[in-house]
Amino acid sequence: MISARRRLWLCMTLTILFCASAAHAHVGNKDIYQTVSAGPYKLFVTVRTPLVIPGVASIEVRSSGSPVRGITVTPLPLTGEASKHPPTPDAMKVSSSDSAYFTGSLWIMASGSWQVRFNIDGTGGAATASVPVPAVPTQILRMQRPMAMLLAALGLILVLGAVGIVIAAVRDARTLPGATPEPARHRRGLIAGAAAFLFCAIAVYLAGKWWKVEAADYRAGMHRNSQLRTMLNSNHLDLSIGAPDPNSDSEWKIVDNSQLLADHGHLMHLYAIRWPAMDAVYHLHPVPDSKAGFTEALPSMPPGTYHLYADVVFRNGFPETETASLPLPQGISGVPLGSEDASADPPPVSTTQLGPRFKLPDGYVMTWDKPASLTANTPYNFVFHLLDPHGTPASDMQPYLGMPGHAAFVKTDGTAFAHTHPDGSAAMPAVMLANESSGSSMDGMNAMDGMAESSTMKMSVEPLSSTVSFPYGFPSAGTYRIFIQMKHGTTVETGVFDATVN
Amino acid sequence: MSADLAQPHPLVVNSTRTRTQVQPATSVPWYIWAGALAVTSASIGGQWDVAWHRSIGRDTFWTPAHMAIYACGVIAGIVGMYLVLATTFGKSTHSARLREASVNIFGLRAPLGVFLAGWGGVAMLTSAPFDNWWHNAYGLDVKIISPPHALLILGIRAIDFGMLFLILAAMNRASTAGDENYKNLRRLFLYLGGLVLGGQMFFIMEYTWDVALHRVIAYICLAIAIPVVFATISQASRFRWAATTVSAIYTLSVIAFILIFPLFPAQPKLGPVFYPVTHLVPPKFPILLIAPAFAVDLLWQRTKAWRFWQIALISGIAFVAVLFAVQWPFANFLLSHASENRFFGTIYFDYNSRPDSFDRLRHFFRPDSGTTVWLGLFRATLYASISTWLGLLFGRWMRGVQR
Repeated sequence: MISARRRLWLCMTLTILFCASAAHAHVGNKDIYQTVSAGPYKLFVTVRTPLVIPGVASIEVRSSGSPVRGITVTPLPLTGEASKHPPTPDAMKVSSSDSAYFTGSLWIMASGSWQVRFNIDGTGGAATASVPVPAVPTQILRMQRPMAMLLAALGLILVLGAVGIVIAAVRDARTLPGATPEPARHRRGLIAGAAAFLFCAIAVYLAGKWWKVEAADYRAGMHRNSQLRTMLNSNHLDLSIGAPDPNSDSEWKIVDNSQLLADHGHLMHLYAIRWPAMDAVYHLHPVPDSKAGFTEALPSMPPGTYHLYADVVFRNGFPETETASLPLPQGISGVPLGSEDASADPPPVSTTQLGPRFKLPDGYVMTWDKPASLTANTPYNFVFHLLDPHGTPASDMQPYLGMPGHAAFVKTDGTAFAHTHPDGSAAMPAVMLANESSGSSMDGMNAMDGMAESSTMKMSVEPLSSTVSFPYGFPSAGTYRIFIQMKHGTTVETGVFDATVN
Repeated sequence: MSADLAQPHPLVVNSTRTRTQVQPATSVPWYIWAGALAVTSASIGGQWDVAWHRSIGRDTFWTPAHMAIYACGVIAGIVGMYLVLATTFGKSTHSARLREASVNIFGLRAPLGVFLAGWGGVAMLTSAPFDNWWHNAYGLDVKIISPPHALLILGIRAIDFGMLFLILAAMNRASTAGDENYKNLRRLFLYLGGLVLGGQMFFIMEYTWDVALHRVIAYICLAIAIPVVFATISQASRFRWAATTVSAIYTLSVIAFILIFPLFPAQPKLGPVFYPVTHLVPPKFPILLIAPAFAVDLLWQRTKAWRFWQIALISGIAFVAVLFAVQWPFANFLLSHASENRFFGTIYFDYNSRPDSFDRLRHFFRPDSGTTVWLGLFRATLYASISTWLGLLFGRWMRGVQR
């Protein structure tokens, strides 16, 4: 519980979520792009989750590695008893023109943390892999005018028809064939018709009320990300995640840190991007407090308004990106960046369109094999290289937070943010939960209890490549700024690139 | 008001009206057979759809069960359009005869039942885009009773009653004219009455699940929904065993579903799958409505001279007493090992029924006892009496329908 004074402070420094339409994991990115390795098979998986739940997700798979004969898919919850009782799998359809391309659909019947399980059959034998799918309703569809007009017209026909039927029933139905109804029957028919009209009007009114109740139920069931609250004291930034207490309007419930899973060794990954120029970016890792909340000793950051994107993963594998806006005053005396933190100060997005080569402060260069054109909702495997000052591939590559690289794709209008990895856009703990439940194993993070785990990761013994790729698809047309982090020696580099998406 | 419940002769509704001699039909018209087929299709489709949801789970507009339901609207639409066009604009003698026995709605002419069925067809047609929009806005079906589904069910019901009226008018005219087709038409009318009864039972299905039969709410629902059908069909058909007949049709049709559905393979397509379903899951064993139906038929044969409110009062008591006397102990049997066979169908479970559910454990769900039961039965008796009274009034009115 927060004291009244502290709450006042919060109110002064807090700005509420700036993206009302924020999706669950990431912001404004509902689709999942993931690469999967299962035995000898390599799959590039795209899961397009439905806007409403229950709904049907579509899946696209491109296979590489050993030839694949067939793939079946099964949707099931990521955790809990229901995750142990899958339905009959569905066979994916192989493209007639491309034997390595498969399509299928998934029925997601409840919102929450799901997974899609792939059973792969091919020349290399059978293999299984799972991809986590956070699925929540994110949309309220408004009825379009033509549909409303059509239904109104049909409704009017039904009401008038009902009135006409009642009039005819009273006036004509009991008259013997060939006979003419008496005047008294005409009168009774009209009275009955008026009563029928009144009845229909009341029925339509009550049906409208019922519709409103159903719509309100749906709206209440829609997913809302937790809120991120910030409090700045000198260069100490306190962060807390929570939501209004449903039982009390004036109270706020903070999420206990034990409810979170560590992702790459940290309970929270915080991106701070100066807005709107996007000319200062920080990838920080706030330290969890003993029970709830986080603290970050900020580095020296130029003043301005920062958009904060805080990635967390809940215990059921459900990822969320909590957002807030933080006004930072001039003259903050900061601390040096942590060994796992990263920053960059590219030119403002409004003045410069960055190309596919980004010169880093220490003379290294990061390059992007930028496709000739980019279109929204298309899966890409974006490839980046780190070159040393001599222009040759960097030789002293190190994993950064257990991965060859990290990427953030941020739309310049603030409506989309995705923090992704070489495996894809799914959160690492969710991937581990999915593959634990499917019986397949993964290297990397075995201990997932966020409070117990240290940031020391299990590192690969093989030398890392200076090339890294990220599966991703832009969610909509517009301009994006891309931040790529790779590590060589003890230096974490942040390359920055701009992209215009059609 | 007096009631002549099993009157075998034509009823003169209003002797002051001018009579016209209606030529007897040579056979039951094709459109009446088509109407009966339409209602049969919707009834089978409804049961099939429930079995589909319990066995396969996954639902699209194009499931065969949905097609069977919508075929009802399509057939009714074709029949209705033909009859409206023929009756309103036809030049033949046949059309002239149809016109004589038609009602007039906004200048269009056809038998009343055709307009009612046509209204049902428009309601079904309206529900289709509405339901599609509903799915896009609020997701695929989680609740069976949603506004577009209610409109669909209302449409099917209107077609049911439209066809009943179509047959009834022909039946009443045949009775007046002494046509030998009268008995055929009455058989069809009773058959459709049985399907209407099945429709009522369908609507209260979740309250009358076998594990819920020791809750008074089951008997209250039955007391509201069923006597009105018994009384309406009995009055309108003038058949002394009408309630027993429609109950037998309901009972036999549900038993047929229990025996036939499990012959068809089916696999769950939605999870979680807590019970390994391999074939279509049939409905639960029918409620023993035939016992109270027999009781009220006997009663109504002996109370023809009574006033409606008196008949309704005694019928409500008889209905609830007999129903409770047979169904309450029969529910014990349905939850015992003795009923675990293909006939009684208590061996079938939904794919998503958990091992600890009441259905799987064969335990009664929150059974009532003591005063709750007796007070509940008292309420049920009251509702059954009102339900009977409404049915008697409506059935009596239907008896006079000529067009």
